[in-house]
Amino acid sequence: MTIAAVLTVAISLSLVGAALFLRQGVSNATTEWRHGVNVIVWFHPSSSVTEQGAVGDELTQLTYVKSCAYRTQTYNYDQGKQFFQSLLGSASGAMTPSDTPASDQCVLKNPNEAAAIAARFTNMPGVLNVSYPSKAIHNMENVTHIAQLSFLIVALILLISALALIINTIRLAIFSRRKEVSVMKLVGATNWFIRVPFMLEGLVQGLIGALVAVAVVSILNWQLDSASAGNTLSTLYKMRLAGGELAFILVAILLIGVVIGALGSAFAVRRFLDT
Amino acid sequence: MITLESVTKTYKTGTVALKDVSMEVSKGEFIFLVGASGAGKSTLMALILREELPDEGRIWVAGRNLANLPRWRVPYLRRNIGCVFQDFRLLPTKTVFENVAFALQVIGRPRHQIERQVTQVLDLVGLADKTNNMPDELSGGEQQRVAIARAFVNRPLILIADEPTGNLDPSTSKDIVQLLDRINKSGTTVVVATHDANIVDTMRKRVIELDNGEIVRDQNRGVYDVDIGNSSGVSARDLVAHSRGRKG
Ligand SMILES: Nc1ncnc2c1ncn2[C@@H]1O[C@H](COP(=O)(O)OP(=O)(O)OP(=O)(O)O)[C@@H](O)[C@H]1O
Ligand SMILES: [Mg+2]
Repeated sequence: MTIAAVLTVAISLSLVGAALFLRQGVSNATTEWRHGVNVIVWFHPSSSVTEQGAVGDELTQLTYVKSCAYRTQTYNYDQGKQFFQSLLGSASGAMTPSDTPASDQCVLKNPNEAAAIAARFTNMPGVLNVSYPSKAIHNMENVTHIAQLSFLIVALILLISALALIINTIRLAIFSRRKEVSVMKLVGATNWFIRVPFMLEGLVQGLIGALVAVAVVSILNWQLDSASAGNTLSTLYKMRLAGGELAFILVAILLIGVVIGALGSAFAVRRFLDT
Repeated sequence: MITLESVTKTYKTGTVALKDVSMEVSKGEFIFLVGASGAGKSTLMALILREELPDEGRIWVAGRNLANLPRWRVPYLRRNIGCVFQDFRLLPTKTVFENVAFALQVIGRPRHQIERQVTQVLDLVGLADKTNNMPDELSGGEQQRVAIARAFVNRPLILIADEPTGNLDPSTSKDIVQLLDRINKSGTTVVVATHDANIVDTMRKRVIELDNGEIVRDQNRGVYDVDIGNSSGVSARDLVAHSRGRKG
């Protein structure tokens, strides 16, 4: 009975934690895209400096382009090598710096213009293609919203069951100690003296459940760290939470656990311990 | 010590358990409460313990008007009233010593005081050699002694016993009542509700008889059944009229 209550608290709070985690992580990972690069114009490896210069000039003249940064072939090669290394464990031998495209990475005043830029520049001489991740971001945000919402709904249902289980555990505890309780009332123990042990029991159940959830979320964060293997470009790496963000989630979990425990035992004590 | 003024108690079911009951018990008195089953003896005790509240009338216990006693003060009232029942109400998982000590633990008494007072009271009730026994290793009379020790260990002003000899044989019953008498001699006011004519008749204490929720007799040095015990033929009603004038 007690284990069921603690487990339900743990599972529901882990879900709450995961939802909060996901929310913060996705927000972290997409910040760079939202406020950073909106459009990347990739140059054909064999394009000439004049071709690249013409594209660059035209880009900077557009009113809705805020700024552009030129990335050399070597720079992109290094970034790509790092990325593949983290993905495959070894650098692909097929690529060389001279095979790698250089690029112009631009920040737009209005990211919605990305598609227009893509249409305009894709066919210019020297341009390999134009990519703009804003649509991907949008999709990702949609998916995570749905995931978060389902996590929170399931967590809410589980929290309510956890509350019911805690109430029932305390009810059983009161029932099994009813003889002691009646003697205590008879000899003049105060109501609080009689209530506190039951209240503490519920509180401890909520707290233990919350501690399990705290461990689960901490492990999740740590897994993210090791899965991204220090690759600063990967989405997983960007999803990692700052210490303060993680601490906030863990404290929120602990608080919810304590509140659930206190609420459940307070209700049970009021309802089943007629002092 | 205990004063009832025109107390009427009607239960939610509509049963009128006490009708216009007035009585006064002085400090240090020993009284028997008698009457047929359903007469209202247990109800009277529940009112004294403030487990129930009267519909009409006023009750004073140990100097407190129970109507004005806030809920949170009720435990402190109960510390002045020891309670003994027919069914002992011992905790089966605790030893004799632990059962008695429990009464002091739950009102926050320090350990050294508990040790001393429990040893003393177990000595008083004659169970010094059974302190580490479990309740189911004791006879009924011994269990009732433990219950009395628990009720008395905090030296209450009042000790009330609801049919304390209901489950005991006559000779054991006599021992128990003599123990209550000894406790009374130490200054504690004792109220015993009983059906046991034998003990009432041998003790010759003050007897209050209830019938159908009304006091029909209040007799000093009384007996259980007035028609047998009082050969002079005085009726119960006459005795009530007589005793109403007495100073409590
Ligand atoms: N909690 C209750 N709810 C409703 N009616 C009650 C309650 N307790 C007692 N009564 C009724 O009140 C009346 C007095 O009961 P009480 O228990 O005081 O009698 P008593 O004199 O103690 O009887 P006995 O000698 O059998 O113990 C009875 O008619 C009883 O049925
Ligand atoms: Mg009774």
